[in-house]
Amino acid sequence: MKDFRAPNEPEAAERAWQLVHAAYRSREPVTWPRRHPRPLIAGAVVAAAVAAVLSPPGRSVVHSLRKAVGVENAQTELFSLPTRARLLVSGRSGTWIVNPDGSRRRLGAYRDAAWSPHGLFIVAVKRNELVALDSKGNVRWTLPRRSPRFPTWTGTFTDTRIAYVAGGRLHIVAGDGTGDRTIGPAAHVPPVWRPGRIVVYSNGHGVVGYDTRSQKVVRHAALRVGGPTIRRRARQSEVVLGGRVLFRGTGVFDQVVRSPDGRWLLVTWPTADQWIFIRIKPRKIVGASRISGQFGGFPTTASWCCRR
Amino acid sequence: MAGSGRDERAWVRRAQAGSASDFEALFRAHWGPAYRAAYLVVRDAGAAEDIAQEAFLSAVRSLDRFDRRRPFGPWLHRIVVNRAIDWARARALRPEAEEVDVAAPKRPERDEELLRELDRLSPEHRAVIVLRYLLEYTPGEIAELLELPRGTVNSRLRRGLDSLRERLE
Repeated sequence: MKDFRAPNEPEAAERAWQLVHAAYRSREPVTWPRRHPRPLIAGAVVAAAVAAVLSPPGRSVVHSLRKAVGVENAQTELFSLPTRARLLVSGRSGTWIVNPDGSRRRLGAYRDAAWSPHGLFIVAVKRNELVALDSKGNVRWTLPRRSPRFPTWTGTFTDTRIAYVAGGRLHIVAGDGTGDRTIGPAAHVPPVWRPGRIVVYSNGHGVVGYDTRSQKVVRHAALRVGGPTIRRRARQSEVVLGGRVLFRGTGVFDQVVRSPDGRWLLVTWPTADQWIFIRIKPRKIVGASRISGQFGGFPTTASWCCRR
Repeated sequence: MAGSGRDERAWVRRAQAGSASDFEALFRAHWGPAYRAAYLVVRDAGAAEDIAQEAFLSAVRSLDRFDRRRPFGPWLHRIVVNRAIDWARARALRPEAEEVDVAAPKRPERDEELLRELDRLSPEHRAVIVLRYLLEYTPGEIAELLELPRGTVNSRLRRGLDSLRERLE
């Protein structure tokens, strides 16, 4: 295996180098950590770097990089959301709720957070615990399970269920944390609820569905996903809706999620450290930059509250 | 594969100080292994390129905070392999996402056999095999990189090797 070569390595290296080199040239140096007690030198380095960035050639480099990766004229921070819906965001630094006015509440050191169907509660995971919270971060119930992941919630006001993967098996638990049941072997992949109380998941050999009403596994369940999708090409990603490319950019788009009113898409774009909001009709694009800085790392999941 | 530990520390130190040529040396030494590792896990050249590129962009963003006493390779490979696993898992539930692969060159027959066998493994198993036999980490190092119990790494290696044994021998 040591001798293995991937396709088109030299070309891929050159393409990547152009982008990475541009990012290196335009990086913003930070002050040295305390184990290097050289404040004067650090200050001089920072001052020189700032001067370089502020100089016409420096500004040009920054500008060309933004042009290469990311939306120009993006907001420098996420000041507000374009719709009245809230966002639930999880990442390395924990789980956050983002309100339409841009205010953010950190719920705690949870990951894989998902809304309850009506947005009253949130389910998330800790290392060995499934946790339900209210929107202020108060814990409603917990369920100790080994390394739970990917909880997803469905149902009505009176009857809700959460599917999640733990210990290599798919589990389904009631929305109040009771009646946890093991359904069967599951791969480390997020399960997805489909209409009719069917949860679609990967059992390691293929994609199957489990019908919670008949309590039977439906093999070869079709994953009919309408709505926006991400299409990856050699160096670019595209957001496609109804066969039409709505947005295209360099690098990787992580997620595209549609707002509850269906008018906006949120595209998470770690390569550019941006979130892009796309109004479908009439088309409008709003970018927000420095997402990592605002959430202590680029969030891995984002979801709107809540489907109508 | 990469430079010696001393070379690498020097490249990181000078790259932190602003030397583009040293940063390039770091990139050139690590691009190949990172891209190959990503490719072997995701089996899609475009995605592998994106993943490796994204890992280097993360490296740029964190360069000033990087602890020079630590080796650069494992830090980069952790990002690459974890992202590759995430991508492969996500693809399993995103059949609507069309992958447009760049044309692959003609490969030696042995490579084709190896890739076919690797495809039969889950992304998690592929990742462990790639870390062990492409990037040559020990099982203990793999456990640390992927934040897995050592026993899990060993069992994934064993199961992966059982599938690959005929091709690797």
